[in-house]
Amino acid sequence: MTHLDFLSPDLAAPEAAWRSPLERALAHAPSGIEDVSRTGVLEVRGDADGLDAEGTEVVRLSDDRALVLCDWERVAELRARLGDRGTLDVSAGWAGIRLRGETLLRRLTDLDLDALPAVGPVAHVQALVLRDEDDAFRVFFAQEYGDYLAEVVLDAAAGVDAP
Amino acid sequence: MRLPPQPDERIDREAAIPFTFHGSRVTGFAGDTIASALFGEGQRVYSRSFKYHRARGLLCCSGNCPNCMMRVDGVPNVRTCVTPLHEGAKVEAQNFWGSLDHDLLTLTDKVGGPFTPVGFYYRTMIRPRRAWPLYERFLRSVAGLGKVEKHGGRTRRYDVEHRRADVLVVGASEAGVESAREAAGREGRVVLVDNGLDPLPDLEGVEAVRGTAIGVYEGGLVPVDAGTVLHRYRAGRVVVAAGAIEQPLLFPGNDLVGVVLPEAVRRLVGRWSLRPGARAVVVSADQRGLETVSLLEQAGTEVAEAVDLRTTRVREIAARGRGGRVASVELDGKKLDCDLLVMSGGRQPAYALLAHAGASVEYDPGRGIFLTSAIPQGVDAVGAAAGDGVAAAAPSATYNGASGKGKCFVCICEDVTDKDVKRAIAEGFDSIELAKRYTTVTMGPCQGKLCHLPSIRLYARENETDEASIGTTTARPPWQPVELGLLAGRPHEPAQRTSIHHRHKELGAKMMWTGTWRRPHSYGDPSGEAKNVHDALGVIDVSTLGKLVVRGPDAAAFLERLYPNRFGDMKTGRIRYGVLGSDAGRIMDDGTIARLAEEDYYVTTTSTGAGAVLEWFEWWNAVWGLDVGIANVTGALAAVNVAGPHARELMSRLTDLDVSNDAFTYLDAKHAHVAGVPSLVLRIGFVGELGYEIHFPSPYGEHVWNSILERGADLGALPFGLEPQRILRLEKMHILVGQDTDSESNVFEASMPWIAKMDKDDFVGKWSLERVQERGFREQLVGFEMANGVVPPEGGQIVVDGRPGGRVTSSRWSQHLGKAIGMGWVPPELAEDGAEIAIKVDGSVERAHVRLRPFFDPDGEHLRT
Repeated sequence: MTHLDFLSPDLAAPEAAWRSPLERALAHAPSGIEDVSRTGVLEVRGDADGLDAEGTEVVRLSDDRALVLCDWERVAELRARLGDRGTLDVSAGWAGIRLRGETLLRRLTDLDLDALPAVGPVAHVQALVLRDEDDAFRVFFAQEYGDYLAEVVLDAAAGVDAP
Repeated sequence: MRLPPQPDERIDREAAIPFTFHGSRVTGFAGDTIASALFGEGQRVYSRSFKYHRARGLLCCSGNCPNCMMRVDGVPNVRTCVTPLHEGAKVEAQNFWGSLDHDLLTLTDKVGGPFTPVGFYYRTMIRPRRAWPLYERFLRSVAGLGKVEKHGGRTRRYDVEHRRADVLVVGASEAGVESAREAAGREGRVVLVDNGLDPLPDLEGVEAVRGTAIGVYEGGLVPVDAGTVLHRYRAGRVVVAAGAIEQPLLFPGNDLVGVVLPEAVRRLVGRWSLRPGARAVVVSADQRGLETVSLLEQAGTEVAEAVDLRTTRVREIAARGRGGRVASVELDGKKLDCDLLVMSGGRQPAYALLAHAGASVEYDPGRGIFLTSAIPQGVDAVGAAAGDGVAAAAPSATYNGASGKGKCFVCICEDVTDKDVKRAIAEGFDSIELAKRYTTVTMGPCQGKLCHLPSIRLYARENETDEASIGTTTARPPWQPVELGLLAGRPHEPAQRTSIHHRHKELGAKMMWTGTWRRPHSYGDPSGEAKNVHDALGVIDVSTLGKLVVRGPDAAAFLERLYPNRFGDMKTGRIRYGVLGSDAGRIMDDGTIARLAEEDYYVTTTSTGAGAVLEWFEWWNAVWGLDVGIANVTGALAAVNVAGPHARELMSRLTDLDVSNDAFTYLDAKHAHVAGVPSLVLRIGFVGELGYEIHFPSPYGEHVWNSILERGADLGALPFGLEPQRILRLEKMHILVGQDTDSESNVFEASMPWIAKMDKDDFVGKWSLERVQERGFREQLVGFEMANGVVPPEGGQIVVDGRPGGRVTSSRWSQHLGKAIGMGWVPPELAEDGAEIAIKVDGSVERAHVRLRPFFDPDGEHLRT
């Protein structure tokens, strides 16, 4: 084991049960609200050139910090490739919700939805918001807020649907 | 009763809408407001006034005055003149005893005047002092507006929605619509907000929104009240087209039912086909008032007289009433019978939103109105709000009646008369800002819309100066009344939960808040749980610990500068305790630091200190410019501490590590798979027994937790919560930052001098700690044992020579030791092992003895073997 392996959830033995921080809270979510917590997230230092690769998304946090989002299966490969860039595997720290509808998201954040991806408060919790095709968005945030934010999202969705 | 169909009427006579008024079934038409439907049903009295309980009827019919406020479907203070009628509405009037038409409290109007001036209750109702609560309760019950149901709970759902606009136009007046049309297609997203009764205009490239802009804040923030949703608009440019507001005239009887502003006539006749009265008198200081004459005639109202105050000099106006309704008016002694008196004191541009934005407001003596200037960038005024088309009209400040009888209202919201204002001036409230607070003029529901200009005219005259010298009061949001629920929105209270949270609940944990974290207080038996750690094996979720990875060539130097102790000389795979100090030498936080590699350190912080420590690290990193990267991995990692005599056996079952005391010694950090999960295992112990802290990716929290309890079942493995942890920590005399220390504590006085390496070149707070050494100690943190087993309260007083000399910071009963123990701050001369101190417990004084070494296992043998 290398000295930072304890951060990487994909290195666990197959019998170890991975559990999403939103599993319970979104168990009965209406359609249009999904758990996307099983996403690879690498925090990369230094200049982010050349990070873009097929199947990854790069979000610049500052001049010398970026997040690279990727499929769960690709984390190991990317981690190895970016290992010399002060890269940390922070996949385990993020929970993600995919939701549909600008109105719903506008009831949770004052971020400019025309300027995504962006980082800012969503229901008072610092979050990364990305726009998918159509009217769908992904919101990533510290996993320890999972229950709270899932509850808020479901509540807001009920409000949007209310007459 | 409706008039024959009018050319521009907005009612659909085919669509009757039934509703109830005080339980009686009544009917209106589609297109009616609640107030117009009631008017059609013959209702003339709509409310009882704030203080004198005078009958009040429709005055402005534009949503500005308080007269039409009623309770609708349980919601108080609804302005019924601008609330569209809906089927089944339950409507009730407010603020009366008995009935709306015969309010018993009109007594206050008959006898009240001389005895109830402004603020009378603070002067006449102060004796005996003890009785004030009774007076207050009485006053509150008889004065005011609608009542909120005390135990009503949440009746409606309110949401807040964040929106953006490049141009936000407030008001669909002609000028507003023109501005929106001009901007459309040229300035990005154009939004037009209007709260009127007409359908929203359909303009290409413009989003029209029904709602009321209630203020303009910094950064182009405009909250728009849309009923149950508050739209928080961020606008690049705000165009205010809020129009102008008709002003009343001040004369005795100016509040009687049947005294109206011109717009009320326009709406009643033109929009709803209602005849406002049988015989009318019009007294107007502008053309607008006189224009109602033809409308009235069209409605079949006889116009007895129309007076143009610009050409006809009138000194005295007095309206006389019968049963609260106007019956006649005297103009310079000439009596005219009427049931309708249309008054107009000209119009005042609605500048409040512009003033919120920072525009200057100045009196224009030529036109007799207040106008805005120096409107800040990003805000524009158009149409009447900018003064365009608002004709000059400067009526007299007040018109006295010949007999001098009858109240002349300056402020109808709060029932303030001209006499009240004069008295306030006589009492010395000569500045408009002071007078406003004293008389409460402009502070009622209309927020000055109808009383601001007239009150300043009156002030100017009474102070023998002009309006420009009196100036104006500060306009503040909200510009229109808004429901508090709308401002509150949805309750959002962020809570942090560990990935093992749900297991704790399943195991029967009693949860508690620590900062914003939810944590188990205990699983039902705190002292049993503590005992199990001493006797067998305890497991506690410490995922809440702050966790930072500090990386880079300068990582060692960075930590050396931040902490008072050393980290550069640590070997890879070792752990050290650290106390973080502020630049003033005060204790900020504590935790462990493990060296993972030459350039990589793993730092843990207290659970509630994680955010502050991260900021502190990042701030100093920016200041020093060292080659260091800091990553917060608090949530990425779960952490579990297993402690007790069987901890080693458990670890040997869960990992492949050689866990012998020689291979894995106290303060070693090792990498291993624990129950198949990649982990960092720290051999530390803050609960006094052999212990291992396992840090691993949080999605495996439940898996690792369950594995420990299953594989350790035969070893007696049981969870323990924060309360037993407090007991165990206290037995070891470990400080709890924020509990045993406060914002003044330093490591010397907190009895941890060994942690500060004063021979280091420098570290944050070193200079301050040197000053502490120089000046000597003022107090010291020590342990104590109670002589007779009583547990003193935390925060309790330590008594020295009969005076307060210190305080208890932690105290618990230790089942294991069979003693009541604690920590506290004492004068330095008492910081000696065995010294006797006295502690106040429930009024009596209990003896205790000072202890300087841990109560349990002072040499740490349990930890090291």
